[in-house]
Amino acid sequence: MAKKTYDLLFKLLLIGDSGVGKTCVLFRFSDDAFNTTFISTIGIDFKIKTVELQGKKIKLQIWDTAGQERFHTITTSYYRGAMGIMLVYDITNGKSFENISKWLRNIDEHANEDVERMLLGNKCDMEDKRVVSKAKGEQIAKEHGIRFFETSAKANINIEKAFLTLSLLGSCVDAVFIKHRPICPSSGTALATDSVSYST
Amino acid sequence: KKPSPEKEGGEGRRGDPQNPGKNPFHLTAEDVYDISYVVGRDLMAITGDSRDVATRVTQLQFKIVRILEMLEALVNDCNVTVEELRMERDSLRKEVEGLRSEGHASFPEVNPGTNKVVVDLTDPNRPRFTMQELRDVLHERNKLKSQLLVAQEELQCYKSGLIPPNNSQMARRDPEALITSTTNSKEGKQEKTIIRKLFSFRSGKRT
Repeated sequence: MAKKTYDLLFKLLLIGDSGVGKTCVLFRFSDDAFNTTFISTIGIDFKIKTVELQGKKIKLQIWDTAGQERFHTITTSYYRGAMGIMLVYDITNGKSFENISKWLRNIDEHANEDVERMLLGNKCDMEDKRVVSKAKGEQIAKEHGIRFFETSAKANINIEKAFLTLSLLGSCVDAVFIKHRPICPSSGTALATDSVSYST
Repeated sequence: KKPSPEKEGGEGRRGDPQNPGKNPFHLTAEDVYDISYVVGRDLMAITGDSRDVATRVTQLQFKIVRILEMLEALVNDCNVTVEELRMERDSLRKEVEGLRSEGHASFPEVNPGTNKVVVDLTDPNRPRFTMQELRDVLHERNKLKSQLLVAQEELQCYKSGLIPPNNSQMARRDPEALITSTTNSKEGKQEKTIIRKLFSFRSGKRT
């Protein structure tokens, strides 16, 4: 009998304007914690989280990108290879919502064609500062045929649900037509952890 | 016939016949000499009256002379300082004007295009590294991070007894493969592994 630490490796990517809470969303999911201090992500970072879906251990390698324009040449080179992309906006920041179409264009330009997309309206705990209605979020998601959640990293609303849903969507599509997709630009060297398995 | 008005005059206030109402801050050494002359002349006039008065006035005269000397020194020093400050101010004014016209003249040269940024070389936070350098550093950081995670995971397997020590050969191969998997031939191998894994996953079996 063979044992391994996980059955599948999924690469997910978080994108969206600077300050919408991408890092916080990821931090909540990976470490179940929240930090109010804003530290702008430098370029690109990732976290690993293993989840169990339909009895399979799935290792999620989740890439967190910097939203700032100055890092775009770096971050866009990480789109290719992602099986799922979470596009995050801030419900208290109208500009971040307006930029959704720009981010979707980026996905079209740089990501794999069959990438699973998901839209997140983050900071939904801040109802008093809301400027983007839930209906507007739902509408734009419907227009582009993608799943939508309103989330709060702070209040831990829908975070796990969003990640698990995206993983599930990815697994359904990729199970048959999966290709080896190095997420790192150029060669995909270091992150080819896919084949790591242990047997007894 | 009283000495007090002269003393007051020496301090530059009213009562001095030579300098009526003169502001003490506008006094020059000449003014002090004039005051000194007036006081001296008046003292001489008193001295002529009697012997007793004469000795007292002489003592008084020395005191007054000393005060006047102090006053002279102060006034001279003050005037020199004022003159120095005035010269310094004028030279600084000229310098500022020079720098201003120079700055206006050289500004178009420093800023040749609209998309250029002028960098202050003394600023410790000035931009210094290229995007490619940042990209390389981030790439290496993430590579090392993923290797660390794999190593930690493997260590955990050993600790939990998932991998018996005698079977360590098998496990050791993987991190090596990870580090050396730069070549394309390796990618083909990985592809096979994933596909094999997935097919077994779909048919509900475990390898």
